[in-house]
Amino acid sequence: MFAVLGDLLRVNREFALGVLLTGIVVVVALASLFSPYPPLDVYVVPPDVPPGEGFLLGTTSRGQDVFWQLAEATRNTLLFGIAVAAISRVIALTVGLLAGYLGGAVDRILMSINDTFIVVPLFPILVLFYFVMRDRMSWAMLALVMACLGWAYDARLIRSVAMSLKTREFTRQAVFSGMSTWQIVTQEHLPYVLPIVFSTTLNNLNWSIGLEVTLSVLGFTDVNTPTIGGMVFWANQHTALVAGIWWWIAAPVVLIATLFIGLFLIAASVSEYIDPRSRLARIGAAK
Amino acid sequence: MTLTRRSALLSPLALTALAHLPAAAQEVIAGLPRRETIILENPEGTIRNSGWFNIWALNAGGQSTGLQQLTLDTLWYIDPDRGIDGQAWDNSLAAAPPEYNADFTEMRVRLRDGIFWSDGVEFTSADVVHTVQTQIAHRTLRWHAILALNVEQVTAPDARTVVFRLRRPNSRFHAQFTVRWGAIWIMPKHVFERQADPARFDFNPPISLSAYVLRNFDPNGKWYIWEKRQDWRRTSLARFGEPGPRYAVYVDPGPPDRRVISQLNHELDVIHDTSPEGVFTLARQSQTARGWFRGLPYAHPDPTLPSVIFNHQNALFQNRDVRWALALLIDIRAVSMASYRGAATISAIAIPPTGTHPSDYHSALEPWVADFELDTGRQKIKPYEANVGRAIADSLRPSMRDQIPTDPEQIARSFGLGWWRMNQQAAAELLERAGFRRVNNQWQTADGRPFSVRLMVEGEARPIMTRAGTMIVQNWRQFGIDARVDVAQGTFFDRRGAGDFDTLIGWSVETYGGHPDLSYFLDSWHSAYVAQPGQVQPLRNWGRWRAPELDALIERMRTVGFNDPRTVEVGKDFAKLMVREMPIIPLMAYNVFTMMDEHFWTGFPNAENPYTNPVTNWGNSRYMFTRLRPRA
Amino acid sequence: MLAYGRHLLKRLGQFVLVVFIGVNITYIVTHATPINPVEQTIAAVTNFGNTSPDAIEDMRRSLKALYGLEGNIWEQYVGFWGRVLVGDFGPSLSAFPTPVSTLIGRALPWTIGLLLVATVMAWLLGNLLGGLAGYFPRSRTFRVVGVIAMALHPIPYYIVAFVLLIIFGFLWPILPIAGGSGMNIRQAFTAEFVLSTLKHSILPALSLVLASAGGWFIGMRALVSNVVTEDYVTYAELAGVPKRRILGFYVMRNALAPQLTGLAMSLGAIFNGAIITEQVFGYPGVGTLLVEAVHKGDYSLVLGVTTVSIIAVAAAVFIIDLLAPLIDPRVRAVDTAEAHA
Repeated sequence: MFAVLGDLLRVNREFALGVLLTGIVVVVALASLFSPYPPLDVYVVPPDVPPGEGFLLGTTSRGQDVFWQLAEATRNTLLFGIAVAAISRVIALTVGLLAGYLGGAVDRILMSINDTFIVVPLFPILVLFYFVMRDRMSWAMLALVMACLGWAYDARLIRSVAMSLKTREFTRQAVFSGMSTWQIVTQEHLPYVLPIVFSTTLNNLNWSIGLEVTLSVLGFTDVNTPTIGGMVFWANQHTALVAGIWWWIAAPVVLIATLFIGLFLIAASVSEYIDPRSRLARIGAAK
Repeated sequence: MTLTRRSALLSPLALTALAHLPAAAQEVIAGLPRRETIILENPEGTIRNSGWFNIWALNAGGQSTGLQQLTLDTLWYIDPDRGIDGQAWDNSLAAAPPEYNADFTEMRVRLRDGIFWSDGVEFTSADVVHTVQTQIAHRTLRWHAILALNVEQVTAPDARTVVFRLRRPNSRFHAQFTVRWGAIWIMPKHVFERQADPARFDFNPPISLSAYVLRNFDPNGKWYIWEKRQDWRRTSLARFGEPGPRYAVYVDPGPPDRRVISQLNHELDVIHDTSPEGVFTLARQSQTARGWFRGLPYAHPDPTLPSVIFNHQNALFQNRDVRWALALLIDIRAVSMASYRGAATISAIAIPPTGTHPSDYHSALEPWVADFELDTGRQKIKPYEANVGRAIADSLRPSMRDQIPTDPEQIARSFGLGWWRMNQQAAAELLERAGFRRVNNQWQTADGRPFSVRLMVEGEARPIMTRAGTMIVQNWRQFGIDARVDVAQGTFFDRRGAGDFDTLIGWSVETYGGHPDLSYFLDSWHSAYVAQPGQVQPLRNWGRWRAPELDALIERMRTVGFNDPRTVEVGKDFAKLMVREMPIIPLMAYNVFTMMDEHFWTGFPNAENPYTNPVTNWGNSRYMFTRLRPRA
Repeated sequence: MLAYGRHLLKRLGQFVLVVFIGVNITYIVTHATPINPVEQTIAAVTNFGNTSPDAIEDMRRSLKALYGLEGNIWEQYVGFWGRVLVGDFGPSLSAFPTPVSTLIGRALPWTIGLLLVATVMAWLLGNLLGGLAGYFPRSRTFRVVGVIAMALHPIPYYIVAFVLLIIFGFLWPILPIAGGSGMNIRQAFTAEFVLSTLKHSILPALSLVLASAGGWFIGMRALVSNVVTEDYVTYAELAGVPKRRILGFYVMRNALAPQLTGLAMSLGAIFNGAIITEQVFGYPGVGTLLVEAVHKGDYSLVLGVTTVSIIAVAAAVFIIDLLAPLIDPRVRAVDTAEAHA
């Protein structure tokens, strides 16, 4: 798999750009480990300093250095996205592989539930959840809830791959050799669905981070934990845009856009790689 | 490269836009001439049951939609500022101040002649009697409890006289009918007597007793339009001349940044409150917008005291040492910077530093406060630090220059006097005496659990106090207390009432401002009103603090006349008791960033001409309308 | 026709299931809360004065009935469904005594109107441009459009909306920045009201279109670039069928069907976005209603809006599903094939 990624990096410009953009975001997140300020403290630097003069990205009206705040926020937001993605992968893989391999009634029931989760508007449910939990709502709990709601789209994709695997020769051999459903699914099928899992993971990251940002901007999360959306929330609290402190909002927006474009490019080029038809088309177009 | 409209005007985009500029001066409100219309912010936001005008029903409908400012009236008004004719006290529907008997068990009111409801019916003593009797008879009405507890009988010997017989001596009963923000409003008997259940009546359209009448409102609750009455001369407001605006519109202008944009576009004449940064932007970018003060602190000081309020039914805060320790951990300079960007008026004692209070209390008590000694168990300290206000002003002067006053008198008024010196050593000693221990730099309570304190703040709706809370929590956290901010948003008032908090930033002390009497809040602090845990606490002792000394003080106050000089003595004793016990940590005055745009209207009250309170949701703001004139 | 009937039944089943699971989630969430909504409500209602203990006890009883907290779990559950089915969520607490259903009824037309227009516009625009871009991959214009779509697509709704507001409400103030229609205009079918409503909807609709058209563009471009490699397209090109006809009848039509399914599947997400848009522009729809209800701690209103949102989105998906076979005959064929499998 790493060899494949290396190949992609060399020949696919979009993939390379995606990796670069995502890499920048990851570096910013890692920088938070060297932050000179405790992330929650306010008025540690002079407020409202524009970018440049001693502060790379300026300072906020709360007396925080935008760069270090951004680093901390990026780390929390990324960790959040990864946590949601990891938990929801487990659900998506279980449902997708089981439905695809078993087929029949199990498939129909699982897919009906699956389609329901695709259709249901999650935002009001998350808002309701915040509403009843209030300040008991922690970062980890939000991640868990979002993961429980956000697996369905990917489960469907995984199922379609599993369905095609089921008709392959090796599956039948495995069945004849007496492997259990669980063994077949985890040992034989899992490796084949990993590429698609990889690309859906990236999309899921985009999805969960986007929702987290939206919830935070409205103040429907734990505003004590610095996140990208939380930064925009505080900037709004201080009417940063009309007050001319545009860098306070611009920094998280540019960062989140960088991350989203990066993840999107990687996911798009990977799924293109998985689907050879469009790869052929690309070669045709390149001629 | 800051994002201001002026810099944008230089950009090519704006140059092409200039050709279309008339579009910006579009008609804001269909059918209303803008020059005859004033647009004000209703801080209640969107009123969901928009068609409900029965203010006497419990917890229903909008109040500051223009309803209590423009259509309601009651016996007296007391101004938090100087008052329209230089008198804070105004006899509104009443012809004279209240007349009590010797032991304060009877209050006699004489009413004015020639006041009419907007439907042509004359206002008489029967309306007052009906207002009182209806609310006593219906538990579901808003002022039921206060009237039922106080009034034994109300009678109208003639059309111009009302007599209240009180259940117990109460020299402050008239306060219930004296508008300071709001009061018990008089209801029209001829309308309400036809209702079987007055709590289920929506009073739509409202019959007005003041100079304006409802013209139109948004079913979605975003705007209310009021029109000057043809017969405005037949209202109590007519004594001060004809109100300027023909139409008054109260709107929900959206979040703080949207309010600033609207006022820059001259689509919102009065902003109720916004962020300090928004005010600085307005001051910088608008030629016509101004606050109460021309420079810092801009804001109007309401006679209200934002404080850290402890929940005294939480065992942690029943120990005075713990409360004092938490107070000594606060860096008031940082709190002032974080909340008001330095524009706070700080107060070391539990009385708002506004109106006439600084001379009655703050200056008068400063020697006592400076001598006050606190025993930490290891040492005796004098915790007071004088001249903190001046230090804050000095530190702001390099960046704000001539916006900062230099006259010591004015500095004291704008920034306050002194406060409690931050003293971590003394705080540690106090906590240790209370049995707390520091383990790995984290404090533990006497029973070995982490000392965690949640500080409840309101959030977006009250940015100043939210920021102060954030800073205080930071002070506590840096000392090793597990402190965090709890943003309660709209549930703040419910949780405040229900006692569902550790500590909160809010106010349980609010006064008249222009009068030394403290009964407005103090009477409700009597232990008789303190609710059991889990029950709802009535106004305003949200911390549920009870002390025999306090009760004695309140009972003493009830037998002292409103204008008796001994009133100030009661106030001073209260302030001293509060310093000793520290049941709330007083912080500063509640400076409201009310911004007035003089593009269409002039004559707003301000620090130079403080004839009334411009804060839009105050019932007292009605006096402003009589001084507003269209700009030539 | 029989096949369409099957399709209809199947979709109806899915609709019922969505509503069932969605409403169950709201039930579980509201009942898993450590907060007691009854006591919270009592605190809210009695905030402004003393109320006697027996009056509070009365209130407690009726609130328990209202929130379905009386009886055992099973009775509570059945009662909850009973109220959902008749749309009775009790009186709103923040707008007491107006019923929640009235408030939602007042807000829903605004949301539906805004969403309908914006979604259809975004979908048509994105697919049209995406189709063209996929068919003419070497066109410079469509490459530029592609880059713009790529850049816009990932930016959160909130940011797009807010930047629009700053540009057209602050820097160059030509459009209204708040409300659904002008003040002092009667809400009736008059030219004045319709014009005012349209004017107020420009910014929110534009933000929704900008934020979501990119997704359709990218999807459609990919689909079309797949379809053009299909044999029948190649044959048509060899047979000299005009390009416009190939694009319209051979390529777009076949690529549109999955996009229509995509529309049905993403309606929930679009609705999520609308909440933000409404919040930013102070639009009087259910999104604003929901956010305010949360801020005001209005339990019954939050519950009502959530439930109605789920049902409304499910219904919209159902309608699109019913329309799908009319546009793409292959859906019917697939359904028939599945039915025989």
